[in-house]
Amino acid sequence: MIHDLIAIIDEYWLLLLIGQYPNGPLGGLANTLILSALSIVLAFPFAILLAFGRLSKYRVLRWPVTVLVYVTRGVPLLMLVLWSYFLVPLLTGADVPSFLTMLTTLVVYQGAFLSEIIRAGIVALGQGQMDAARALGHSYFSAMRYVILPQALYNMIPSMLSTFVATIKDTTLGYVINVPDLTFAASQVNNQLLTQPFQVFLILALTYYVICWSLTWLTNVVERRITRRRAGLIAPKRRGQFQTSLTPNATEQP
Amino acid sequence: MTASISSFAKDQTIRLADVRKSYGDYDVLKGIDATVARGEVVVICGPSGSGKSTLIRTVNRLEEINSGSIFFEGQDVHAQMSGRELNRLRSRIGFVFQSFNLFPHLSAVDNVAMSPIRVKGVAPAEAHEKALKLLDRVGLREKANSYPGQLSGGQQQRVAIARALAMEPPVMLFDEPTSALDPEMVGEVLNVMKSLAAEGMTMMCVTHEMGFARDVADRIWFIDAGQIIETATPEEFFKNPRHPRAQRFLADLRH
Repeated sequence: MIHDLIAIIDEYWLLLLIGQYPNGPLGGLANTLILSALSIVLAFPFAILLAFGRLSKYRVLRWPVTVLVYVTRGVPLLMLVLWSYFLVPLLTGADVPSFLTMLTTLVVYQGAFLSEIIRAGIVALGQGQMDAARALGHSYFSAMRYVILPQALYNMIPSMLSTFVATIKDTTLGYVINVPDLTFAASQVNNQLLTQPFQVFLILALTYYVICWSLTWLTNVVERRITRRRAGLIAPKRRGQFQTSLTPNATEQP
Repeated sequence: MTASISSFAKDQTIRLADVRKSYGDYDVLKGIDATVARGEVVVICGPSGSGKSTLIRTVNRLEEINSGSIFFEGQDVHAQMSGRELNRLRSRIGFVFQSFNLFPHLSAVDNVAMSPIRVKGVAPAEAHEKALKLLDRVGLREKANSYPGQLSGGQQQRVAIARALAMEPPVMLFDEPTSALDPEMVGEVLNVMKSLAAEGMTMMCVTHEMGFARDVADRIWFIDAGQIIETATPEEFFKNPRHPRAQRFLADLRH
């Protein structure tokens, strides 16, 4: 059994790692990681915008964003993937690469989930922080930028990391629209071997497990750190711009 | 606006004219008329639910009003104005909250220095120097690098006062600044407020600290059910309250 696994990895490691590249498109684990990273990096600012929209006092902003978030959260990701895959070319006439289709869908889907986490983080701070900032003369966005978001995002780091883990797992659904990712590569290997599906998909599962477990482990470390920091056991890291010669102790803090 | 400034008596910092506010059917403020002169310390007292906090929050427009007007140095606070104008106006009215509302992610000195830097564009080094002076003034120079979570309630409120002072406001509003404090910490905050008053700061304070009112206030406004029903000097108010509601309020306090 172990022998089979090693033999498969030995034979197909390059395909699993980078797909057909350089003879075809980049695929395999590399493409999975790129797709995940891009989804996360793009979903994050998108989610902040959605959260602002959800919290806006203007209905023209709040309502459409709320509908978008609710619909997106209420529909299985696979449906969204298929919709974008078949509908976007039909509506626009453009031939969109499946990687781009998957990326966009993931950004919207994860953005919707992340936006609710960020919104919860903002709401949980209470009105007092915003009042204090406004009373000092900060504009709404200045208050968000310097007072609300630094706290809300920091408090929500564990939840956001969980969403990032979910994003990595969700990239597997790209398989149904032929995104050449790790799952796609594993399936190609399986088609060539035909007789060892259990071994092939065990390798696939283990690979995802290692990636996601590492991130979950990181989540737990961060969570513990935040708990300890709140208990006053370690001082928060200082912001660079506020370190001046007038606050000499600043740089001595761990 | 020019007209309102010229018609505005020079020594009046704040003027409230028939200020009314309601939440649905419930009238919180039922026509408040009052003025605060420059350098005057006004203490607003009254039973809970009488509208004291709502009133003081309308002065820097943290609460909107339904009708009437509030003038701050001749400018109508509740007039139509751009966001930028309102921000500038608010930055000139110091406000101290019952629950301190310090920014927990910033150290004491950064709490004080941040808004001068971000709102007024003061150079960071200069803002820090001034923040340290202000912390010194409220007796917390050595706590400059502590975070709010590491400070006691009384210390937090003193940092909050320093933070408000950092914007150099000509007037300071206090919304029950000692109500959330343990009794042994009330004194340190009141002392800071007393020293501010002694330096000639114009102040409006909602408070239940009758000792502070007696010692520091120039005038007391007694509010009940959304109306100022008595305005008096502390001497008159404590010795000889005219309104029966005020008499009962003071009698209840003595128990």
